[in-house]
Amino acid sequence: MIKKLLKHLNYYLLLLIIFSVGVITTVFASPNVNLQVAIIATTVVLYVFWGILHHKINHELTRKITVEYLLIGLLGLSIIFFIFMGGI
Amino acid sequence: MFKFLYHFFTPQTSNNYRARILHPKIISLFIIFFFSAGVLMSVTKTNFPEVLGISSDVSIDQLLILTNQKRQENGLGPLSLDERLSQAAIGKGNDMLSKGYWAHISPDGTTPWVFIKGAGYSYTYAGENLARGYTNSSDVINAWMASDSHKQNMLSGNYSNVGFAVVTGSLNGEETVLVVEMLGTTVLAATPAKPEEKSITEVAQASTNESAGQVPVVNAKNKEEESQADSKDSKKQTIAKQPSLEVKPLINAETFSSNIARIAITIFMFVFILDMIIIERKKILRFVGHNLDHVMFLGLILALILVLLKGYII
Repeated sequence: MIKKLLKHLNYYLLLLIIFSVGVITTVFASPNVNLQVAIIATTVVLYVFWGILHHKINHELTRKITVEYLLIGLLGLSIIFFIFMGGI
Repeated sequence: MFKFLYHFFTPQTSNNYRARILHPKIISLFIIFFFSAGVLMSVTKTNFPEVLGISSDVSIDQLLILTNQKRQENGLGPLSLDERLSQAAIGKGNDMLSKGYWAHISPDGTTPWVFIKGAGYSYTYAGENLARGYTNSSDVINAWMASDSHKQNMLSGNYSNVGFAVVTGSLNGEETVLVVEMLGTTVLAATPAKPEEKSITEVAQASTNESAGQVPVVNAKNKEEESQADSKDSKKQTIAKQPSLEVKPLINAETFSSNIARIAITIFMFVFILDMIIIERKKILRFVGHNLDHVMFLGLILALILVLLKGYII
């Protein structure tokens, strides 16, 4: 795992930046729920693109992998939707 | 049973070396579950608020006790609960909900002092603390005490009265609990200010404090200024009725949904990590996404849940 992380350090740094910006802007967008939803959706889309692009660049992209990133992204969105509709 | 759990949570020959829970069909089921449960919870919250809703344990009695406790610990006298300040606080809380803002000064320029004066409280000193999204009184007081400007307001020797409001409602689409604390001293109760203090306080304006990111505190406006403000603001001022202070639905929607979401995320993170360890140890070659990416992404979702459910003070 650590080997993989070091090998793809630049990619993971980019991912960390995307996530950090996503979290920080979500904090500052409060209490504007619509803006928070837009920021979170953008962060999820960027994650899916990042994942697909990462595999594409490393020549290991398959349809199965694309579906996997899409599904994990959707899973994250559905959980956030659940929190927004249920808890907030 | 164990065989099923192994099949469901660990990579085996039976699941093509990918935990069953990580197969697209099962992930799709989770996605459908969360979207449907979200809609169901929203419908239940709207139609049966006594069953599912935002639960708040913030009580005015507790807020007063805790505030005075903090003051006592710092060698200050207790504040007495003033009905007019409480009315002003309710007015401010309802104004934020109806106009959809979260600030000391409303978008149309209405300051906290408008509510205080509108409630018939003629102040020499006044201040306001606001909190949002907290579900119990001690968290509210602790959050204010952790912020220098709010702490200064709570522990100011200039105040002798306090009023609280706990208002539940939708703020820009977010179901939340607003806590408003209005502090003040009446003209009669105020101790004579030292001459040099007076010169400073006469200039003090809420707007300057607000722009500097401070908690608004206004001190000893001169009479002319005050009377002008009174006549101007009395027309605008409307004090809403006191809402129920303690809302107790059968199920607290916030805790319920966040617990389910956290459990689901934790399970997925655990399975991804377990999958990563087992596959690396067995040195099995697979063409799947990087588990590390998904673990990081689920960590982001957990962080976002914390951010979304966190309380705020201004």
